[in-house]
Amino acid sequence: MAGEPDLELIDITKRFAGFTAVRRVSLVVDRGQFVCLLGPSGCGKTTTLRMIAGLETAEEGEIRIAGVRVNDTPPWQRDIAMMFQDFALFPHMTVARQVGFGLEMLRRPAAEIRRRVTDSLAAFDIGALADRKPDTLSGGQKQRVALARALITEPRILLLDEPIGSLDYSLREAVMLELRDVQRRLGISFIWVTHDQNEAFSLGDRVVVMNHARIEQVGAPEDIAERPRTRFVASFVQGTNVFDGTVESVDGDHIRVRTPSGSFLVPRPDERSPSAGEPTSFSVRAALLTMRPGSEHVNQVRAVCHAIEYLGVIRRYDFRLADGRSLKLEQFTGRDRRIGEGEPVTLGWRIEDGWLHAPPVEPA
Amino acid sequence: MSTRRERSPTSYALAGPAGLWMLVALVVPTLFIVWVSLWVARGFTLASPLTLANYGKFFARPAYVHVLGDTVQQALVMMVITGVVGYSIAYFLVVHVRRPGLQLALFLGLVVPFWTSALIRTIAWIPFLGVNGVINQALLAIGAVDRPVEAFLFSRAGITLAQVSFYTLLATGPVVYTLRNIPRSLPEAAQCLRATPLHVFWLITFPLTLPGVVIGQILVFLNVMADFATAQAIGGHKYAFLGNLVILLYESGQFSFAAVVSVLLMTTMLLGVALLLKVVDIRRFGEP
Amino acid sequence: MIAWRTRQRLVKGALGAVTVLFLAYQWLPMLTMAVLSFTGPEGGTTFPMRGVSLHWYRELLRVQMVDDFKPPLARSVALALACSVTTAALALAAAQAMRARFRGSRIYFYLILLGVMAPGLLVGFGVALLARALGLGLAWYTSTFAVHIVWTLPFGFLTMLAVFNRFDRRLEEAALTLRATHWTTFWRITFPLVLPGVIGAALFGFTLSYDEFARSLFATGPEQTLPLVIYAQFDRQLQPTLYAIGAVTTAVSLGAVALFACLVRLFRRRTLTRARAVPAPNIP
Repeated sequence: MAGEPDLELIDITKRFAGFTAVRRVSLVVDRGQFVCLLGPSGCGKTTTLRMIAGLETAEEGEIRIAGVRVNDTPPWQRDIAMMFQDFALFPHMTVARQVGFGLEMLRRPAAEIRRRVTDSLAAFDIGALADRKPDTLSGGQKQRVALARALITEPRILLLDEPIGSLDYSLREAVMLELRDVQRRLGISFIWVTHDQNEAFSLGDRVVVMNHARIEQVGAPEDIAERPRTRFVASFVQGTNVFDGTVESVDGDHIRVRTPSGSFLVPRPDERSPSAGEPTSFSVRAALLTMRPGSEHVNQVRAVCHAIEYLGVIRRYDFRLADGRSLKLEQFTGRDRRIGEGEPVTLGWRIEDGWLHAPPVEPA
Repeated sequence: MSTRRERSPTSYALAGPAGLWMLVALVVPTLFIVWVSLWVARGFTLASPLTLANYGKFFARPAYVHVLGDTVQQALVMMVITGVVGYSIAYFLVVHVRRPGLQLALFLGLVVPFWTSALIRTIAWIPFLGVNGVINQALLAIGAVDRPVEAFLFSRAGITLAQVSFYTLLATGPVVYTLRNIPRSLPEAAQCLRATPLHVFWLITFPLTLPGVVIGQILVFLNVMADFATAQAIGGHKYAFLGNLVILLYESGQFSFAAVVSVLLMTTMLLGVALLLKVVDIRRFGEP
Repeated sequence: MIAWRTRQRLVKGALGAVTVLFLAYQWLPMLTMAVLSFTGPEGGTTFPMRGVSLHWYRELLRVQMVDDFKPPLARSVALALACSVTTAALALAAAQAMRARFRGSRIYFYLILLGVMAPGLLVGFGVALLARALGLGLAWYTSTFAVHIVWTLPFGFLTMLAVFNRFDRRLEEAALTLRATHWTTFWRITFPLVLPGVIGAALFGFTLSYDEFARSLFATGPEQTLPLVIYAQFDRQLQPTLYAIGAVTTAVSLGAVALFACLVRLFRRRTLTRARAVPAPNIP
């Protein structure tokens, strides 16, 4: 059956004793997509992943894989495979036996298993490890074995639970790119759970930001970074400044928001018309602030430079405002205006650089 | 590791007393038994010449060989029963019981009897198994039998029943330990690789608990081989295992022969342990 | 074809049933014995009970009974206390020695563990033979004591090894950098922290010795310990007095375990509250 999405989650809910881990989560994953579930620990992303795998049952809602309802199907009958953070390699089996395990379970003939295992080991460049046991392997090698093992059954969806969390920092980048390549080549959907925003943004076609058992926003990384739907998403994404305040007035296409740091103009989002006195929040990307505000930078505020971080391509400034709040500003190194610590400056940004947030999703 | 340098004299001084105690109170007497088993004289004569004929005499008496066979057979039967029951209990406690409070309560319920006197527990089985005993009364009450079953007390079955209650926990303990050490992600990974629960158990869980199973079996084997009190209390004088034989021979003053039986018992136990250890590489037991 | 969830529940039910049945299987004989000990004066050693009374407990207090059982009881308690202290001390020393991997520590480990693997009966047998050869007499406070330690020491040893395994030696290293000697470090830092293990080893020493009979069978002289006196009853006609003794002994054993558990709790709480009682430094 071609055409139907790889995965559909329809209002799934999962409760544990005393609290709700996942609340009315809905998501559609089309064929061959790389989706990242992103959020702080306890937000429900791992539980959601486990429900897709079948390791947890959904109390309400429906889960469909390739258009077929799988709520009552156990994990070993679902067209999925999973990778775990600790790799979950079977300590008592050789690499070859491990990798062929899925095919063994599918009762494929021995000759076919041998052939496909050899091919798989070669494809992942671990042929030399065929007769080794997992405890003699390095982290990177274990990673590859886990991947080969998962993909050999040609699942429709690969689920990954923080798969590079236990690797050395220097390895992570390389492994990340390798996994993205594999996904592109095979054209199957990957659903990747992480709490690391950089991971999610560099890998995902789509990112699902979750918090307190709900989805806050779904979209391409750019959309999420530049147009965060809620205050939570804005504060979760690095390089974003968040302002809390109240709506002072609505002025055509603009909204004036009063904050402890001052009064600022923000574009009015199409769908909404907030009323005066309503509490609200908005965000401005750190890269969109300027230290030399011109006439178009209508929003301005006085600040003192508190700290400077040199990050290679960009320089990140931490400014303190009169009311004690801090603002971050990012600037390409090589830009002419540089200031030192302790120096006072006026920061500014254009009206259209601000983005008003929707009211928060109901608390859990 | 302590902060002492390796091989410092303090270590030897600290280790000395315990080691010495074991040597004097255990190793030397055992070696002495071996020596006594080679005496020609039946009574206690230090100057006795040595011979291996005593062992020949043992194997020439069918009654004695029978006792040896019975003891080993009993041990094997117990190993199988405690293996199955013990594993089931361990699996239930570790995998199926979710609430830690319940797990602890069940565990205590199983372990606390071991803090009470083994003799008393043995005695307590007699009113249980006898013609007027609890088991028979229960069977009569539910109508399973017309007359009380005599076969419980003073029978191999009775001894086995009592021993099961004594030794099953020895088989459960090590399995609980190895089961606990299996990361949760392993059976889950197998499930996501198309393995049914049966496959997961047989191909993943059970092989990983094998060291625990073997250790449990060794413990049960050693205990049943050496057990004499149960046979005496519940079997009456109808049954004798090697331990009972040693007592009999000692009390009739046949020291060298008693020593022969002792040596055979120890040898059988050593052989059994060696065989069981071949099943799995025990040295890897402690590894996570 | 049963649904997999039902199958899972069936398996869980079956294993649960086995566990619960086994629990009952273990406890029922003892409970039966305890109940039967309250049988009336006409009652036999099995059901049906003829009346409920403390008759057999009172029988225990009869002078003859007291003379028969009190000395062995006293000996058993004394022996158990001695074993308790000795086991704790020897096990602590041996485990501490093991931490510094000395030459032959592997063999040493197995040597200690031999005490568990050797059949008790034969240990007693060997000691009896040896004593006879050397012309030494057997007595509860010499030969029996020796074989009891052979049995209890491995348990204490394993307990201490496990405790030391979890012990963070950086605490000792910190003390050493603060000018403490090895001796001071051990008694002020290490010992208080491994005390629960020491208490555990002492507990093993007590309960295992109090109950020991296999090793003691041959190795004890004319003055018997309590378990041996009970064992001698095996060949005689069972009386409900034996049940009363059994019930009392069991209560004592359980009491000892509970007492030790409380002691451990108490020590833990004291160490913690003492830490909290230190006033916070007043840094200006």
